[in-house]
Amino acid sequence: MEEPIISIRNVYKYYKDDIQALRGVSLDVYKGEVVMIIGPSGSGKSTLLRSINNLEDIDFGEIIVDGLSVKDHKDINKLRMEVGMVFQQFNLFPHLSVLDNVMLAQKIVRKRSQKEAYETAMLLLEKVGIPDKASAYPLQLSGGQQQRVAIARALAMNPKIMLFDEPTSALDPEMIQEVLEVMIQLAKEGMTMVVVSHEMGFARAAADRCILMDEGKIVEEAPKDELFRNPKEERTKLFLSKIL
Amino acid sequence: MLSKKKNENDTNQWIDKDLPQVGELSKIDAWWGLVLIVLISIILLLVLKPDPFSRILDYVSDGIIVTLEVTVFSFIFTMVLGLFCGLGRVSTNKIIYGLVSIYVEIIRGIPLLVQLLVWYFAFPAVVINIGKSMHYEPFENYLANPVAMAIIGISICYAAYMAEIVRAGIESLPAGQMEAARSLGMSKSQAMQHIILPQAYRTIMPAVGNEFISLLKDSSLVSVVAVADLTRRGREFMSTTFMPIETWLMVALLYLLMTLISARLVKILENKSKMGGR
Repeated sequence: MEEPIISIRNVYKYYKDDIQALRGVSLDVYKGEVVMIIGPSGSGKSTLLRSINNLEDIDFGEIIVDGLSVKDHKDINKLRMEVGMVFQQFNLFPHLSVLDNVMLAQKIVRKRSQKEAYETAMLLLEKVGIPDKASAYPLQLSGGQQQRVAIARALAMNPKIMLFDEPTSALDPEMIQEVLEVMIQLAKEGMTMVVVSHEMGFARAAADRCILMDEGKIVEEAPKDELFRNPKEERTKLFLSKIL
Repeated sequence: MLSKKKNENDTNQWIDKDLPQVGELSKIDAWWGLVLIVLISIILLLVLKPDPFSRILDYVSDGIIVTLEVTVFSFIFTMVLGLFCGLGRVSTNKIIYGLVSIYVEIIRGIPLLVQLLVWYFAFPAVVINIGKSMHYEPFENYLANPVAMAIIGISICYAAYMAEIVRAGIESLPAGQMEAARSLGMSKSQAMQHIILPQAYRTIMPAVGNEFISLLKDSSLVSVVAVADLTRRGREFMSTTFMPIETWLMVALLYLLMTLISARLVKILENKSKMGGR
């Protein structure tokens, strides 16, 4: 059996005032897999995703990403270099041009030369379909364009894994598709992806596995988009009836 | 919905600043007009009544230099110390945070004038006493340099306020900026240097400019600790000539001219920093 690239073992996370965000979550993600996590707000799905690159500290359990533990804070930047993340709010750097957004971390974290970083950046901007916006500033772009830049920025680090935290939730409906297309393309190229999203279209096109989380636990897990089409658990049915 | 709204606000924050605004241009002219009026008033006084105004200006002119010297040096130290203390105020290291917080709270609770008196009178006395008890000659004969003590006193006081400005500037940025930087593998200091501080800098520019002008005015307090600044030179002139009206009119106009010009320069810098990002 192949080693999982992300191994989540019995993870617990408490917030202040004793709210439990994660209550014993275990999950393996294998190289090239696309795992989709759905669930009501407050179910801990974003917390789980953010634990994978240690934006959240876990209180108990273990997460190993490509051989590195999230608890080993000395190596955390090494781990994060391998794990790209795309946020709901894009979080582009507004004081830098699109090109600089994509180039900065390459230069100062990956230590690439200006030329190499530039070439990588332009290649990726082409890939996400907005090379003509390279010299624009993030806030001159539409939400969909910003999110595509954010994907390019994460990809520029040549990560082994990509995490998506509700990447289309802040977008106007007509812009969702352009972002999903980039994500589906990425999945087809064999990128390992963990996606928190309720976009059924993405599940149908790209997901290898879907997971429903509720109250900090994994409730149901099913291959492809079967979770949407053929839910087994009552909790899943109830949730799907609300979002569909 | 809520989050989208926030995003739109952010957009305004970054785009509005960069559009040249018609209203602002005419405001700039009006402000330069004020500078001109003050300048003309001073020149008229000098030309129409050279005695005593020209004499006053002659007498206090070296005080102007001292005032500017104290202001500029204090401000440079304030910026450096304030930046580090501001970073300390957002530090997750509890010891650094605690120490900086105590410093800020103590300094902000004591009037600047009292602090200057401490630095000029109490501090040297402490050094001399230590020197005596240790029989260490350089300390026993320690003589405080008034200008140096004034600069130290003002810098340490103003840095505490500057630290709070820097902290507010950093905290005004969305948490997502730091998270995005860290998620790309940047260390905390790389994220500060490349992502957080350049953005915070633009937010705090106006407040920093105001601090400079306050500092320029507060520098008049150093006149009580033997620094021959503009205010002190004015007082000396008045006590020898008994011309309070003319003396203080001249001194007040000179301060006004300096603060108005500073305000203009700050504004120009501010606009420049906004353009720089585009």
